[in-house]
Amino acid sequence: MGDLEQYTPAPAYGAQIQKDGEKWTLILVRELRHSPEKVWQALTDPAHLREWAPFDADGNLGTAGATVKLTTVASPKLHVSEARVTRADAPHALEYNWGDHNMRWELEPSGGGTRLTLWTNIGRPFIAMGAAGWHICFDVLDRLLGGTPIGRVVGGNAVKFGGWQRLHAEYARQFGIEVPNWPPQAAQK
Amino acid sequence: MKIKVVSIFVDDQNKALRFYTEVLGFAKKTDFSQGPYRWLTVASPEEPNGTELQLALNENPAAKTYQQAIFQQNQPAIMFFTEDIKGDYEKIKGGGAEFTMPPTDVTGSTIAMLKDTCGNIVQLTQLAKW
Repeated sequence: MGDLEQYTPAPAYGAQIQKDGEKWTLILVRELRHSPEKVWQALTDPAHLREWAPFDADGNLGTAGATVKLTTVASPKLHVSEARVTRADAPHALEYNWGDHNMRWELEPSGGGTRLTLWTNIGRPFIAMGAAGWHICFDVLDRLLGGTPIGRVVGGNAVKFGGWQRLHAEYARQFGIEVPNWPPQAAQK
Repeated sequence: MKIKVVSIFVDDQNKALRFYTEVLGFAKKTDFSQGPYRWLTVASPEEPNGTELQLALNENPAAKTYQQAIFQQNQPAIMFFTEDIKGDYEKIKGGGAEFTMPPTDVTGSTIAMLKDTCGNIVQLTQLAKW
């Protein structure tokens, strides 16, 4: 087992944003030390998603045409949305929607591991929030696949975690958007 | 236990935030998103740490049916209290809101009702001082 208390996220890296009309897309690239097959399983298998992703899935995301219910974890209210898998080309490319967010994943073999790229559309005010959240999720995923899981850090639990707030501010600066005053001062001790 | 947050369904959270802040005069309190989910609340500037109103996106067909039915019956989905209903009426009307009932004396209070542009009737209440 790993230890969450020993985990400090690296500074913000490997992220870009793209604007297409009114639509903003967050692009995150990570080098994981694990094979595309292992990463694919972690992206699609509900038992794996439960260990690192910001949602629980009630079915496998690895089959094109499948409809899967995704439930947010640790959000102030339970939020359930229906995802439809539109592309599942194992272990290379995966696409589905998470509510009104399109999720597109690409896995490329890279130096014995996997270069993982995520494209996801997020409203501009929340794009740094999303980058900080996924940053931590991917660190949790890498440790999970490495056999030293530190436990899922998502939703309100991520916000409480000091590293998230630092990352949120760092990504906001990188993206050139207003550095967020979040959580609001009143909510902080 | 305390009553800390109440929710109202809205058809568009950005539009609702504009209406509840710019027209009604509340202040944004919490705005957090996780994937497609957005937790958005406002609070009264007179009571910044008081009860929060969650502006919840209505994407639930059952809730939509209910919301439309009570809207058509001119039933308020939420009620706010004020010390100056005439002044608030003028200010909110000046902000472009449509009232379905101007300030009206009823037993124990004066009430007014308006449309929030997001699918709801809002009632303003000023208690009579006896």
